[in-house]
Amino acid sequence: MSIIDLDAPGQTVLMMGNEAIARGALEGGIQLAAAYPGTPSSEIIGSLAEVAEKMGIYVEWSVNEKVALEVAVSASMAGLRSITAMKQNGLDVASDYLLTLTITGAKAGVVLVVCDDPSSHSSSNEQDSRAFARIGDIPLFEPSTFQEAKDMTQYALELSEELKTIVMLRGVTRISHARGNVTLGSLPRLQRRAKFDTSSPFHYAPVVPKHALVHEKLARAKEYFEASPFNRYEGPDRPDLMIITSGSGMAYTREALSLMGLEDSVGILKMGTTWPVPERLIGKHLPRAQKILFVEEVDPFLESNVKEISADLTPALEISPRTFYGKRSGHIPMVGELNTDRVVDALKRVLGTPYVPRDAAYAKRVREMNKEFVPERVLGFCPGCPHRASLWSIKNALKLDDRDGFLTGDIGCYALARTPSGFSLAKTAGAMGTGTGLACGFGKLGRFGFDQPVISICGDSTFFHAAMPALVNAQYNRSNFVMCILDNGTTAMTGFQTHPGVGRNAVGVPGPAVDIESICRSLKVKVEVRDPFDLKGTGEVLTRLFQEEGVKVIILKRKCALQRLKGESPPYKVHIDPDKCIGEECGCNRVCTRVFRCPGIIWDLEARKSKVDEVICVGCGVCADVCPNSAIVKEEA
Amino acid sequence: MSGTKGPADLEREVLKEKLCTACGACVGLCPYFSTVQGRVVMTDSCNLPQGRCHAFCPRTKADMRKLRSVFFKEGQFIPELGSFLGLSMTRASDENIRAGSQHGGSVTALVELAMKEGVIDSAVLTRSDHGLDPSGLFVSRPEDVRQCLGSSFQIPPGLEILNRTLKENRYRKIGVVGTPCKTLAVYKMQNRQFEDDPQQPSRIGMVFGLFCGWGIDWQGLERMVKSKASLERVKHIDIPPSQYGIMEVETADGRIEIPLEEIYPIIRYSCRFCADMTAEFADLSIGGARSSAGWDFDRGWNQIIVRTKRGKELLDLARDRGVLEFREAAPANLDKLKKASSNKKKKAIQAIIEKTGDVNNLLYLDPFDPSLENLLPEMK
Repeated sequence: MSIIDLDAPGQTVLMMGNEAIARGALEGGIQLAAAYPGTPSSEIIGSLAEVAEKMGIYVEWSVNEKVALEVAVSASMAGLRSITAMKQNGLDVASDYLLTLTITGAKAGVVLVVCDDPSSHSSSNEQDSRAFARIGDIPLFEPSTFQEAKDMTQYALELSEELKTIVMLRGVTRISHARGNVTLGSLPRLQRRAKFDTSSPFHYAPVVPKHALVHEKLARAKEYFEASPFNRYEGPDRPDLMIITSGSGMAYTREALSLMGLEDSVGILKMGTTWPVPERLIGKHLPRAQKILFVEEVDPFLESNVKEISADLTPALEISPRTFYGKRSGHIPMVGELNTDRVVDALKRVLGTPYVPRDAAYAKRVREMNKEFVPERVLGFCPGCPHRASLWSIKNALKLDDRDGFLTGDIGCYALARTPSGFSLAKTAGAMGTGTGLACGFGKLGRFGFDQPVISICGDSTFFHAAMPALVNAQYNRSNFVMCILDNGTTAMTGFQTHPGVGRNAVGVPGPAVDIESICRSLKVKVEVRDPFDLKGTGEVLTRLFQEEGVKVIILKRKCALQRLKGESPPYKVHIDPDKCIGEECGCNRVCTRVFRCPGIIWDLEARKSKVDEVICVGCGVCADVCPNSAIVKEEA
Repeated sequence: MSGTKGPADLEREVLKEKLCTACGACVGLCPYFSTVQGRVVMTDSCNLPQGRCHAFCPRTKADMRKLRSVFFKEGQFIPELGSFLGLSMTRASDENIRAGSQHGGSVTALVELAMKEGVIDSAVLTRSDHGLDPSGLFVSRPEDVRQCLGSSFQIPPGLEILNRTLKENRYRKIGVVGTPCKTLAVYKMQNRQFEDDPQQPSRIGMVFGLFCGWGIDWQGLERMVKSKASLERVKHIDIPPSQYGIMEVETADGRIEIPLEEIYPIIRYSCRFCADMTAEFADLSIGGARSSAGWDFDRGWNQIIVRTKRGKELLDLARDRGVLEFREAAPANLDKLKKASSNKKKKAIQAIIEKTGDVNNLLYLDPFDPSLENLLPEMK
């Protein structure tokens, strides 16, 4: 049940930030939305997909972010408003087209939402995507509240259409995934007819005059931003300190000031439009305070831009040079997510205000209480996850091969291949498809003495997204490695979105499934398909493949355990015979709980035996084949 | 718990040192050791300080004097040959057996007989269908024994099969046929008193040792044969006794002869450190005949060292049942055997001292082993 299509203007509802963005897109009259899922952005297009039919819009999961952007822009070119959303790594993928798109321009409103992930909760880097706005001369919004998330998206569509250029909206995890009150506007239900005007093509040439045009658009955007209600100052007229902040920094700043009782002496200039920075607005507020502190997520973006403007304006304003605090001065950390404590700490140092938020023993008490209430868990694969079985076989085959072989990891749940849950197999990690790209290169180093077998892994969705070109490259250049495609039939890590191999589109309509095996076979590479739960068969094939020359693909096909749970009953009822379990003795020493580590099996500290956790065991039965003593019994359920 | 050392020690002392013979004694006991193509690999560690893997391994140090005294009380001890109750020249009476064997087919005939007569109820053997890629095979019916006729030169980890069979706890008198490294491991297995499994030692019915000069590196042999013939067309590989020293590779397209000079460089590395030619730990040890009468006289015949009473009883039974044909083994045969065996011991000691660079570091060899202690002073 989605709330984003609630037709109740004026009503205030609780919304997740991503839902608020989706709602803003609907209120802004989008007719098309396209994306590749990526945490923390996935729910934007996901929630639009849920209401697609009702709202009469087209929503798709695209094969990757670049294609998603292209699909969204096609709508703009044909006169329809559209939106695409991605995580910061996705923006990197889309950036090739994005940075040319600004030259060619767009037509109807098109907004690119990028959701950064400070502290990298679910990402492979910690990136400030606002840099792309600057590189590409793209107008940029940063919502600080859920209401703004909605309102800015709607306004961004209008501005985009006005300027005929794409507009970016940058969120962060705490905007995307937190919830807050949003007062709804009306749903316009734009029903434009799509038509591409062949007399107005979208070319990048001639680049230089068009580049000049981009700067004209940017200047116009700046004019709008000078008076934008998304930028505002709150606090005393002449504060001891002015904090300039954007995005989630606003909430932390307000909370810190309230905690320290500084509301009457510290002012906040909240910026909602952060590229191009409205200079006159900055000039208006700069004289307020001698000391200025920047609070923003990831890079000193506002900090650098405001300081640049300040250098230009200070003589004309006839003010003394301001003292700036922020990331460059070390008052706000250069890495890691902001929080109230970090802002409090900066304020203490800048103002010399003593503040003890809590007694020193508090954190310790919390940790101890947590121990009691929250079971300690390490990051790992779910019970019954096929990836565990796949990696188990890969681990054994690599060990048996005995040439110091290794696995090049990729992006997906199986990124856990770097952890003990994945037997610490992955020795490299990078971007989508990087595992296979790197393997491609390793496979060509033979002439320089490289003799280690290499196996790359990637999921089914990642295969389509970015690993496919690497495989084509490998075959074309006659590389030498094994590519293992872990086909679990879904985009599991981001929340079970469909992909080209699934046979259903984003809104659930059945369609042709693109067959990974056929694609690989068409490249004339050696292809093997196995069930990862067949440990013996999979191990044997892998052992053989490691000895063969050339590019070899093994597809390990098994439905994601979580997805399977939704529709099927467990295939086996698993229990452990305590008489047969030899526990810590020579001959086992807890292979199931110590090495295989499926959370569905627990170690009974008192009995010194393993036992099945019936609450979470999904009955895959793989552990029965791992047990050396046939103590784990699987019975057909 | 068994043993004084564990898998980490085994990995350090044996696997890393490349002393592993891939006998399979450490495989099949737990989930952590596996074998492929003549290699044993520890895929994970059990993290235990002590384990059967280390205790059973024929390349870990053991008190050999004690081990010999526990199991060989009946025979005379000959330093070059071990326990000795007699030497015979034999061959299988059945021509079909002889036709498929390297020498006289006596092992096949004896195992078949032992199983028929209930001396053993099953056996762990080695099977090699096409001369390459041999594997251990468990049989419990006499009619299956002949699948294992003939020799293989890559040595498969057959004791993995024995471990699995023992774990199954179904058979009580298991026969084992194996090279000296394997049969030594079988005695080390029997020597241990398991708290968890007191019955296990008595479940070995008879041990048939095979004379062994060396085995060949698994992949080395494959590459060698591949360079001369298509692997799929190879039917049989043999080194028949002759003064010419050749390996014969029978293929669908005819016979290829490889001089042993070409084979020596691909002898399994670990075999260079083996001091046992005659499988001193066995009830009966069997090899090709080497008499003073010459190759023609010996061809198609085995020589058997009887080491225990139960071994002698089986050989007598074979004579009574007419399963084996016998020839008198001349005293000169014994001298020849002693000399050959002694040579292997000396070479092994020499190779080990070269490897360690220390005359006092003999790796797994026990300097107080009565079969070695006479040789050591002159080696040093």
